[in-house]
Amino acid sequence: MPLKALKEETAESLTLEWVLHVKNYKLTLDKSKCVGCQICTLACPKEAVRLERHPKIQGEKAQKARVDIDLAKCNFCGICDVSCPYGAINVTVDGKHLLSVLDKQSFPQLVRDIKVDAHKFPLDREKSEDVCPLKLIKVSFLTADGKKVEDLSSLSEPERRRLSVNVEIEKDHCPCCGVCEVKLPDGAIHVRKFLSGKLSINAEKCPDGCTACMDVCPITGALYVSDSDKKVHVNEMFCVYCGACKLACPVDDALELKRTRINHTPVRSGAWNKALERLTSSTEMSKELKTRGSLKARESVKKRVGLKGEKCA
Amino acid sequence: MPRRTALKKAETPEKERRPRQTKPKAKAEEPRIGVFVCQCGSNIASVIDVDALTRYARTLRNVAHAENMNYPCNHQGQDAIIAAIKDKKLNRVVVAGCSPRLYEPTFQSCVSQAELNPWLFEMANIREFASYCHQTTPGEATEKAKDTVRMAVAKARLLEPLKPIELPMTKRVMVIGGGIAGINAALDLADMGFKVYIVEKTETIGGYMALLDKTFPTLDCSICIEGPKMVDVGRHPNIEIISYADVLKVDGYAGNFKVKVRKNPRYVIAANCTGCGECRDACPIEYPNYADMYLGVRKAISIPFGQAVPLTHTINRDYCIECYKCVDACGARQAINFDQKPEEIDLNVGAIVVTIGYGMYNPKDLEWTGYGKFSNVFTALEFERLILAAGPTGGKVVRASDGQKPHSVAFIQCVGSRDVNRYEYCSSFCCMYTLKHAVMLKEKYRDAIEVHVFYNDMRSNFKGYEEFFNRAQKSGVRFLRVKLENRRITEDAQTKSLTVYGETEDCKPVSAEADMVVLANAAVPAETGPEVARILNIPLGKDGFFKECQPKIRPTDTEVPGIFLAGACQGLKDIPYSVAQGSAAAAQAASVLSKDSWTVEPLVAKVNEELCSGCRICESACSYRAINVEKVDEKPVAKVVEGLCRGCGICSSACPMDAITMPNYSDNQIVTQIQAVMEKRVKKRE
Repeated sequence: MPLKALKEETAESLTLEWVLHVKNYKLTLDKSKCVGCQICTLACPKEAVRLERHPKIQGEKAQKARVDIDLAKCNFCGICDVSCPYGAINVTVDGKHLLSVLDKQSFPQLVRDIKVDAHKFPLDREKSEDVCPLKLIKVSFLTADGKKVEDLSSLSEPERRRLSVNVEIEKDHCPCCGVCEVKLPDGAIHVRKFLSGKLSINAEKCPDGCTACMDVCPITGALYVSDSDKKVHVNEMFCVYCGACKLACPVDDALELKRTRINHTPVRSGAWNKALERLTSSTEMSKELKTRGSLKARESVKKRVGLKGEKCA
Repeated sequence: MPRRTALKKAETPEKERRPRQTKPKAKAEEPRIGVFVCQCGSNIASVIDVDALTRYARTLRNVAHAENMNYPCNHQGQDAIIAAIKDKKLNRVVVAGCSPRLYEPTFQSCVSQAELNPWLFEMANIREFASYCHQTTPGEATEKAKDTVRMAVAKARLLEPLKPIELPMTKRVMVIGGGIAGINAALDLADMGFKVYIVEKTETIGGYMALLDKTFPTLDCSICIEGPKMVDVGRHPNIEIISYADVLKVDGYAGNFKVKVRKNPRYVIAANCTGCGECRDACPIEYPNYADMYLGVRKAISIPFGQAVPLTHTINRDYCIECYKCVDACGARQAINFDQKPEEIDLNVGAIVVTIGYGMYNPKDLEWTGYGKFSNVFTALEFERLILAAGPTGGKVVRASDGQKPHSVAFIQCVGSRDVNRYEYCSSFCCMYTLKHAVMLKEKYRDAIEVHVFYNDMRSNFKGYEEFFNRAQKSGVRFLRVKLENRRITEDAQTKSLTVYGETEDCKPVSAEADMVVLANAAVPAETGPEVARILNIPLGKDGFFKECQPKIRPTDTEVPGIFLAGACQGLKDIPYSVAQGSAAAAQAASVLSKDSWTVEPLVAKVNEELCSGCRICESACSYRAINVEKVDEKPVAKVVEGLCRGCGICSSACPMDAITMPNYSDNQIVTQIQAVMEKRVKKRE
């Protein structure tokens, strides 16, 4: 049987597959999770990911851009999988989610710094779960003997006080917007963004009454219509700088997005440097290289000094 | 080629010949023509009255001697011609016999033995033109023969002595393609002391043979017998392997080919790469490996298989993500260079051996096979990689659908070949490799596996092959002889097992269940064939394989002197015959290279530069790229590349200025011949 290179698209997903006699490579894009941002397009080292913008139809909600992956260019490296802020892409080898690029330190992982203090969560499932715009938080309540309580209203107040809260977060799909941190009681959850930058809207260019960016933004509250000028404004506290809004915006340069820093595991890789340059800018990339360089220098100095010290001793 | 070789041999040594040719008297001398009429056994004499013809010849002007003999081409006949030239002081010779294509070189050498310039010889074809085609009308055939002889005599009067052209010889050779035929040709030539360049398209030499598990009929390990030869090629001081390269352009002629080769970037510096493979271990990217027929994978920086020669790694930039982990792994060796650019190399060689091999037909468009649709249908080469211990499955024959060992395997012969709608020819080696696969399965798994072969004719016609067929039959392989039509395969949707159906010669249906089906798909002309043919200006046959000069007696020659063919690119053949032909082509090439100079017949176009207007009409008329307009003192003038000119005369007739002449085929000579043939008719009318 020859190499089978397959591509299949349904309403829910896009699947690419290499079926070899001894190996199977599969890439699945979960369309319900994909927001049509630019990250995978920029991160892909083979330029295999393309975005198709949907033309805006008057009177309808704007639609997110459609992701298309070129089977001829894709090499199933999994960099899109690693870099997707929403975890919408899954690459497997022989059914296992073990990516060689991570294993061989050819690409870093995004650092999703989420700290949860379950004790501080309110004893209210809906209040806790609904704060996440992507519905990634799952809360369960356990009695002292470890039993799950489904209906809180059936319990008396002392019983409720004895309950412990168990919080599960689908970290892989979390873009770390930080909405939960603000909406939940203080200290219940702490989120550090892995993408930082600057998103601004040029009010002069932004057309009146257009909310295309808001329609596609997956984070409630990151964009809002101001009461004063009836135009869309950015709340950078929640923005994850994914760029979905920029692709939906019908006017050039009305939205300006600059990513400046990406929080990732340490790595030394040309593929990452190039991805970083495309995701942020050349200056930001060189900044990171410089930092890495000086860290390395410091380390080597430390080593030498340390060695000398030992010799002296 | 042999025509020229014969000439050269026959010529008297340079020193003796020179004074004779510079004799100015030869021109002024009154022509004394000798006519020798051949009886050719009964081929000519049974139709044509040779005595009458001889008598008639004596009546022609300037004919000093005429005789007929049984075979002028044999020793006795030639001695008689030499004697007559000397006795009768003949200075022109006409032989009325067969086609000059067959015997002109023989008679030219005979004439030169009598110390006459070989171009003072003319042949009148009275066999093909008269006796063969007018057998029922002998009287008229004789008249036609007389006309033909009269024409030849008329031309003979005007013949001028010519001197062969000597061109310098470059003692280097290029072999295009490093398969088993190319390897043998290269090794033979290198051992003879010639510098050899092997230009190979892929990363390694070895060709298809390097991908095979065993070879028939001895079941030797293929790479174990080819590997040492590959290593020899890699280490031979006279051989330079230019792998991962394409031939871009070839100009020139035998003895002096100018070749442009593009070395594609491997992004690895060959001189620094030790082949250690540390980069490969560091690389995170895998892609389907062609050498494994896409059944397995290789790294983005790797070698296609362990025995590759040269053992230089290659980065496939189509898949590489440029993480530079390989650079770190390579470290101080510094063999990796991502900035490498394609490099153009100029080679100057005296001869070229073409051994570009063949390709394999993809049976996807033969729907009845289910190839590409049914997961357990394989081609033979894929099966070869499955059964190979160094293959992607480690030598385990397993199904694609479930990874299980098959309990029954069916082989189907003639898939795409012997099919007038696809490839009409027989692929020649499929019967034997199928027997090999069947025997290997049967001898490995014994009764645990059932093997069926659906064949039409079993072609086992070389040394040890029929015996191998018997071995297969004895080992329990079941042979089902079916027609090539109405074969089909069906798949059980659940078990993914297959059923093969066929029809016997007397239209009885036969079928067999199989867990796995292996197709003997046709071998086809190499994909690069047309491109190579264009670059070298050598013809392809109707079947897409290179056309040899003469299929029986010159199977390794091409139409272009100095370019030779070997291996499957000339016609499909198995390993022993490719090896033999590789050596044959090497010997042919050596016969060119071993000369100190390359002799070209002087029948090449001559340009009168004063008359030439530089219009370039000749340039486009020439099919050998042998005439080019160049600037001489600011004036564009046509120049003939003597080594390339084949003396066809097309440029001469195309030239509107009458500036191009062909020696011994001048307008005057041709018009005189026409006048000679018309003479009698004009007289009759009068």
